[in-house]
Amino acid sequence: MIQLEHLTRKYGDKVAVSDLHLEIPSGQLFACLGPNGAGKTTTIKMMVGLLEPTAGRIQLCGIDAVQERREANRLLGFVPDQPYLYEKLSGREFLEFVGELFGMDARHIAAGIDEQVEAFELAKFVDHLTESYSHGMKQRLAFAAALLHQPRILVLDEPMVGLDPRSMRMVKDLLQVVARRGTTVFMSTHTLSIAEEIADRIGVIDRGRLLFLGTVRELRAHLSLGDESLEHLYLRLTESVAEEVAPSRLGAAGE
Amino acid sequence: MSATTITEQAADAAPAAPAAAQAIGVAREARVFRRLRVRMLRTVARQVLSEARFRVAVIAVVSIIFWVGLFIVFAEGFVFLRSALDNQALRAQTVQAVYNVFFLALTVMLTMSSAIITYGNLFRGDEIAHLLTLPARAERIVLFKFQEGVVFSCWGFMLLGTPMLIAYGVTSAAPWYYYAMILPFMISFVLIPTGLGALLCLLVVYYLPALRLYALVLAGIVVVAIGGAWAMLTIGSPTQDMLTPDWFAQMLGRLRFAEQRLLPSWWLSSGLLEAAHPVNDPANRIFSWHDSLWFLATLSANALFAQLLVVQAGARYFRAGYSGLQGLVPARRRVRKQWVDRLAAALMGWLPRQTRALVIKDLQVFRRDPVQWSQFAIFFGLLALYFVNVRRFNYGDPMRQWLTIVGFMNLGVVGLILSTFTTRFIFPMISLEGRRFWILGTAPLERSRILWAKFLFAALGSVIPCSLLILLSDIMLRVVERSPVVAVIHQLTCLVLCLGLSAMAVGLGARLPNLREPSPSKIAAGFGGTLNLILNMVYILAVVLATAIPLYYWIEGAPSDWQRAASGTWLSMILPWIGLGTAGSVVLGVVVTVLLGAVGTFVPLWIGIRAFEKLEP
Repeated sequence: MIQLEHLTRKYGDKVAVSDLHLEIPSGQLFACLGPNGAGKTTTIKMMVGLLEPTAGRIQLCGIDAVQERREANRLLGFVPDQPYLYEKLSGREFLEFVGELFGMDARHIAAGIDEQVEAFELAKFVDHLTESYSHGMKQRLAFAAALLHQPRILVLDEPMVGLDPRSMRMVKDLLQVVARRGTTVFMSTHTLSIAEEIADRIGVIDRGRLLFLGTVRELRAHLSLGDESLEHLYLRLTESVAEEVAPSRLGAAGE
Repeated sequence: MSATTITEQAADAAPAAPAAAQAIGVAREARVFRRLRVRMLRTVARQVLSEARFRVAVIAVVSIIFWVGLFIVFAEGFVFLRSALDNQALRAQTVQAVYNVFFLALTVMLTMSSAIITYGNLFRGDEIAHLLTLPARAERIVLFKFQEGVVFSCWGFMLLGTPMLIAYGVTSAAPWYYYAMILPFMISFVLIPTGLGALLCLLVVYYLPALRLYALVLAGIVVVAIGGAWAMLTIGSPTQDMLTPDWFAQMLGRLRFAEQRLLPSWWLSSGLLEAAHPVNDPANRIFSWHDSLWFLATLSANALFAQLLVVQAGARYFRAGYSGLQGLVPARRRVRKQWVDRLAAALMGWLPRQTRALVIKDLQVFRRDPVQWSQFAIFFGLLALYFVNVRRFNYGDPMRQWLTIVGFMNLGVVGLILSTFTTRFIFPMISLEGRRFWILGTAPLERSRILWAKFLFAALGSVIPCSLLILLSDIMLRVVERSPVVAVIHQLTCLVLCLGLSAMAVGLGARLPNLREPSPSKIAAGFGGTLNLILNMVYILAVVLATAIPLYYWIEGAPSDWQRAASGTWLSMILPWIGLGTAGSVVLGVVVTVLLGAVGTFVPLWIGIRAFEKLEP
């Protein structure tokens, strides 16, 4: 379970995330949508421990993620958009390193690796150095590493970038099944069709503020726009915010 | 395998709860990171030995030659000291003073370099962003990267320090345990300044994240200012009785500032000199050894304490500092064309438009990156300071014979400093352009033009400061006043050096690019950069000697002793032809230098252009 309470993060004077209040229950697949610079990645960085909030709290399965960072990280699996892999390790050695850091014993690591290798079709290259991997291979290995220790929370930052259609299908199906088993999945994405297809709930964020929280059906009802696609709904929502902001900026400039 | 089947298997592998992760203890965490390092090192060693034997052999041979060369120089220096100073007490004090200053200077340099390396390792790498999302202790990550930084910042110290210390041991008939204690002493010593540097970095990032660059620049300026002031005070005043016992005694007084008993550099030099003490009386020798061990224990204890401080600071400040640094938004700077750009554009009006655009682009990138021009300014500023001080060679006749040699040594020094800059900044440019090939590779221009533009940028950028420095040196040595012809030859040699070194960096950079590496410093530190540096040294030596030898004998007179000694040998076949001591030999030397310059400039560029035209990024 993820609980973000009045979460705020500033970069100097700029507010990247403003008073974000969000609760994602166990087993839910949550998709965070928003344009570039909306605050999605900042929110994720705070959840995984790369940034500390300026104000507010992050609770991961009841653990304060700022005060008890290591405890919180033990519950997490994280897949960034550009995963870092040690080039001079093989995929298997990388997975072993991650498993060891998560405190798994050797037997569980070996069994876990075998399962992930099969699940993500890593067998052909898992014993090669990761410096020879394509982006798709790296991304699949990053997924395997994130799931190896059976995390309670899975955080994904633009997970589909660079994946081929087959791998995308694999990941989409996987995320749904993982969520069904009780893992909370928090995913940021620009790909609206993916969110529409697999997310239980979506949040639309722009300029650090949460504009909408609910299902796609609820969003349609909210905007009273019948059967339009999520893309149309999303554009309407973010454009209306842009229009709200633009006149005030013009006014400020004219003063 | 169908996607659905895959999904089901993955799901089986990843039930949500309970999590398999368990907290791990400090010892296991240390083992995990140690295994990570060992595995990576083993892979690198295996790859290097199977794929790059030639490169390893070249680097090993050059390192050995360098080490042996340094050993001989130091050994000769210590033997000279023995002959110049009969008084054993004064000799020991002199060596101690030199060691104190040498190791104090190293303390300052290691502290600064460790701070910079720690910053790059802990706050700039993608690896850290990965490690911070794992349940690893912050202090473990700091220690892991600190150890890497120690190795990275001290290999030069080892390469420079060991030949000096072993040469001293050999020339002073040191007992066996002196040699056994050299490494423990050096390792313990290195950990103190590198620990302080890492600590400084963590504190600056935590408390002054926005001012980190200014803090670093300020510290650099303070160090340079103190060093400069010291140099002026120590060697600035004229002395006529150089290298005499009185002169040594005078120098000792001036170097006393480095003899502070709370400094690790003093513990190191005192400990090593105690161990090297060739006491004939076995009883006294035991006392020396005992004292030496005491100094080693002091150093080791402080080294461990420094490491403890780094670990504690890591636990306290690292994660928050990292977060604070990530939270800084780089100020969006509106940039406009400056007078430098306009001047450069006007001066390069004769160039084809495309070439001019490429050179001005490189100039703008260089100008807006303080990391590049600040190093350039610091090193050339130090050289200028040194050149201002060489005026002391003008005092008294005993110094006059050194004038010609010093003039050419200054040329060599300028060449060597320039070669480090062309290797560090020009050599990686082609590799980095390879990464931007989406724009240059698809633009309607010949690839050779890109290389010519790089060469012009490097050559123009180096000729101006280097020529000015050599002019300063010649003014201070009163060469311009006494013999304008020699000053012109110096300028010509300087021009040949600048053109050749620029061409080598550009040509070899294109011939041996590293398109995978985004870091210019790592590209420069690779095989291509190392080879470039080695070829640069050979080129500098050849160019400088080709003019220096004939000019020296022309000024100082024919080497009659040498000619007599050479009669009957193969040298006698060459010497009359060269006609050392005549104006003709000087002209010949200049012609050889120009030819060397032509070969050193056009051959690397030709090789580079051919390779660059075939480059497939």
